[in-house]
Formats: sequence, structure tokens, C-alpha cells
Amino acid sequence: MSLLSIDTISKSYDGVRALNGVSLRVREGTIKGLIGPNGAGKTTLFHLITGVERPSAGTISFQGRDITTLEPHEIALLGVGRTFQTLQVMGTMTVVENILTGMHSRLKGGFLSCGLWLPWIHKGERTALKEAKETLEFLDLLGRWKWNASHLSFAQQKMLELGRALAMKPTLLLLDEPAAGLTPAEVTRLAEKIRRLREQGMTILIVEHHMGMIMDITDEVAVLHNGEIITEGPPDAVRNDPRVIEAYLRGKDA
Amino acid sequence: MVKKYNKGSRIEYRKRDILFTAGLWLVSLILPDPHLPYRREFIKKRDFFYVGALLLLPLILSGPLVYLMVLAGIYAIVALGLSLFLGYAGQISLGHAAFFGIGAYTTAILTTRYAVSPLEAFGASALAAAVCAYLIGKPILKLKGYFLALATLGFGEIFLVMVRESRSLTGGVSGIFGVPWFSVAGFAFDTSLKQYYLVWGVLIALVLFAKNLVRSKMGRTLLAVAASEDAAASVGINVAQVKVRVFVLSAAFAGLAGSLFACVLSTANPQGFGLGLSVLVVMMVIMGGMGNLYGPIFAAIFLTWLTDVLGGFQEYSLPIYGVILILLLIFFPDGVGTRLNERLIYLISYWGRKRRRERVDI
Repeated sequence: MSLLSIDTISKSYDGVRALNGVSLRVREGTIKGLIGPNGAGKTTLFHLITGVERPSAGTISFQGRDITTLEPHEIALLGVGRTFQTLQVMGTMTVVENILTGMHSRLKGGFLSCGLWLPWIHKGERTALKEAKETLEFLDLLGRWKWNASHLSFAQQKMLELGRALAMKPTLLLLDEPAAGLTPAEVTRLAEKIRRLREQGMTILIVEHHMGMIMDITDEVAVLHNGEIITEGPPDAVRNDPRVIEAYLRGKDA
Repeated sequence: MVKKYNKGSRIEYRKRDILFTAGLWLVSLILPDPHLPYRREFIKKRDFFYVGALLLLPLILSGPLVYLMVLAGIYAIVALGLSLFLGYAGQISLGHAAFFGIGAYTTAILTTRYAVSPLEAFGASALAAAVCAYLIGKPILKLKGYFLALATLGFGEIFLVMVRESRSLTGGVSGIFGVPWFSVAGFAFDTSLKQYYLVWGVLIALVLFAKNLVRSKMGRTLLAVAASEDAAASVGINVAQVKVRVFVLSAAFAGLAGSLFACVLSTANPQGFGLGLSVLVVMMVIMGGMGNLYGPIFAAIFLTWLTDVLGGFQEYSLPIYGVILILLLIFFPDGVGTRLNERLIYLISYWGRKRRRERVDI
């Protein structure tokens, strides 16, 4: 059963067609890769799924529910976690607080109950802290849990952002170029983490430029080119598809 | 490239350094921690020191200074509220004087016209300010940065015009007189000393509230909204709702302060609630440090005192005021409450480092 299904979605900016009738399905418990040359519309598709922008036509549904017109935070509350292409770590907070922010939707309490520190707030904070440390341990960041997040290295900040998304306990995780800017060793470590997440039963959609990693960890790859999906299938089949090779070699003007 | 030291030793070491270190250690006992905004612990030993100092302060202060501390405490309540909105949530408001005014007028009108007890009027003031903030905040908090500043500025001016023109309700320019002293169960706070304990007692309660907020889920939410609205939304935070709520909360703080203000001065008139106050409160938060609770309170005391002292210089007061603020922002760019220890180390060792720099040949 597909967890996320995108049906013939289109998006145009002032007459420029970024996406043209794209359909995509992400099956539960799998890792789907989305690749394509620069300007193919990958980021646009991501924005549409997460509700940052609205499609011009077509529908997106998650767990059978239409999410096309929902706000970003409503989509997040349904269980869609995401990371960003440009780092969006909260530099004014500590590492552990960043993770705890990710648990927002799972913690009870509003302004008044937090301000009065009612008993359930205390209990919630305590269990949340324990859980946040487990997440940090998974990401090898536990040693720096008290650090200010802006003092971490780039790769660690990327990990932290992944951790913030994981803290939501999402059903579907969207990763926007997680390997961009990482060294080969860091990419390997990241790939290993993502594989472990899949073993835990998480469904993941990755947009990535790093072909090696995509071919390595995904179950299925879709190739986006000029706003259309040109091919879709297992990594090995996609890799040898002449259309994909042509798209990558000839670039956008093909 | 040979580094030359004056006495041929590899490590430059002076008696003065030991004195500096000892001095800094002493200073660090009473001043906020350099990493205070990142640790967000609830109560530390030095908090008891602060409370003790506040309790004993009237013993060493003369009458007028106690009165000044009462005013400082009232402004500190507004600054504390604004600190949550401006310092934590990162939204600017230049209209907080209006909420302060709404609080003051609510108390003045209720107590003089309808004979409501000051304690009930106190609660009603917070409620009135909160309701106004909700109605105003819902549409204008969609704006960001400069636009939000302008919209709140406009709201402040509209409030002033409305107060001046609706004479039957607010007494126009001359205002309302004869607001009774604040009283709880027959005990009237009729002297500066009693008012001092009242105001600072309220402030301490509100600080505890704010500290709880800051160390919990909502505090993180505020910081997240300030850091990145996209990231905040991506973890399920309803950014628009959070902004409105923190605006309402900070307006309620201002309303409480306004109510105390009316009771202390036993009057409410539009002069006190103009743009000057709004800017002053914003200045307190910026000077105190963004994302900081004690800084704005300290800045409130300092600025209230400074305004009073400079009153003696007549027409020179504003230029002096300006120069002092500029100097403070040059030497404490993060505000006096943030990383104060680091700033002090920097400042104290400034001259020493300068000389050493000059001595090194490169």
C-alpha cells in the first residue's frame, strides 16, 4: 500500500512550468529516491508535499487523506517529518533542545500550563529528555548534547537536523539532499543511519544528487527531468536506462 | 618571525593577571552565567542572592530611590513581557505602551467609576490588554520585521488618539485622577516601601512564570519560531498561533504593569503611554539581551535610574542619554545579560592585550 501518493501534479510559476503532471507513489516501509539534474523540479515537488507551496493542479494524499491544501504544520502533525536543503538548525538553542523541539507535537501543554509548571509538564519534560538523549546517541551526538547547536560542524548540524525530524516519530521522512556538502566518510555514515531507520520500519523519500548513495540505499528510484518523471524503478534498472544517461549528460536543454 | 617578550620569558605573566582573575571570580559569583540563555535552569543559588538583595535594598535606599525602584519594577514587568515576545520569539513590537495604557485605564476607570476593588481591577487589566492584543495580533502578526514594527507603532498612536478624544470615558488629555491605592483584603499599599514590595513581589512571580515557560516546551517553541519559521512549521508548530499567543501573553504582562502604575501614581493620563515608553521598553530588552530574562529587568532599573539622574541636566539630558546607550551597545553588543562574564573579561583585559599586541613584532 502506498503511504504517499502524488497524482498528476502540476506547478507553474508565472507561466514557467516547474512540474508537469508528475505522479509518484511511496510504498510503506521502503526508501524511495528522487533524482534529476538541477532545475528538474525536485525541490518544487518537495515544497508541494510539505505544504510550503500549493500545486496548480493535481492532488497529494498521505495515508489516504488529501493533504493538498493543508498548511505545513498540519502536514507535519499528520506524521511527515522533513529536513531542509539549506540547514535550518536552531543556532540559539542547545543540541538537545533542538531535538526536544522536534518532539513538540508529542508533548502536552500550552502557555499557561507550561508557565505554571503543572505536574504533567514536569513528567513530560523528563521523559522527553531521556528520549532525546536516545536519539542523540543514535546520531553519535550524545557527547555534545549541551553544546550550542551553532557550534557544531556542518556534518553534525546535518545530523542534528535529521534528529529533529526523527524526534517527531514520523511515519514518512522526507530528506532534502542529506548528503550535500558531506565528505565521503560522512556520507557512508549517513547512509548507514538511513538504512538502520528503514530496518525500524520508517518510510523515506530522499532527494539527492549523490548518485552513489542513492543507488546504494534506495529500493526504488524515480528520475525527474524537466518537470516530468522520465523513468521509475529499482536502482540498477534506472542506472542503465538510456533516457536517464541522456538527461544527465545533456542537462536541462535536452 | 620572532616574538619578543620584554623580559625574555616564554610566557608573559603578570601579577595584575592574578588580580584580574580573582576579581572576575568574585564578579562571577553574583552575575549571570555566561551561558545562562543556553542552560535555562530554573533556580540557582544566585537567584536567592538576587531575591535577598531585593528584600534588603529598601534598607539602604533613601525615600525617592525606593519610589524610583517602584517605577523601575513596573517597567521591568513590561520589559519581561516584551522579552518573551521580542527576545525569545523574535518579533518586534513598538506598541507595548498601548497595552500598558490599556491596563492603567482599565484599572482607573473600574476603580473610580464602578468602585471595583483594585485587586479585581488588576486581573481585569491583564484581561483587557490580552483581549486587545488578541484582536490586534490576529491580523498584524502575519507581518514580519519592519512591517510588524510599523503596524504596532500605528496601533500605539491610534490608542493615544482614542484615549485623548473619548473624553467621557478617559477624561481626555488630563486623564483620570484619584485612583485608590492597591489593596488586598483591607491592607492598603499606601507608602513607597509597601508598593516596592508589592511591585517586586509581582515581578518575582512573573519571572518564575516566565522561567517555567522558557525551560519548557513553549520556550523552545518561541526560540524555534525566532530561529526559523520554516523549521518550526516542519515539526508541527503552528507559527501563526504561537505568535498571537505570545503577543497576548506579553500584552497581559504589560496590562498588569499598567494597573500597578495607575495605583502607584493614583492617576492615568495619556502622557505616560506614548511612543517614548514603547521605545524605552524595546531598549530595555535589547540592552538586557535577547533571549534573556534577567537582562531586561536590570536594564529597566538602569534606564529608569538614568532618566531620573539625567533629568537634572535639563536640555543636555537627551544627548548624554544617547551617548551612554551607544557606548553600552558598543561594549555589550549582546546586551548586558548575555555572556556578561565574557564581555567583562574582554573589557578588563582590553588594555593589557593592546599593549601586548604592540610589543609583538611580526
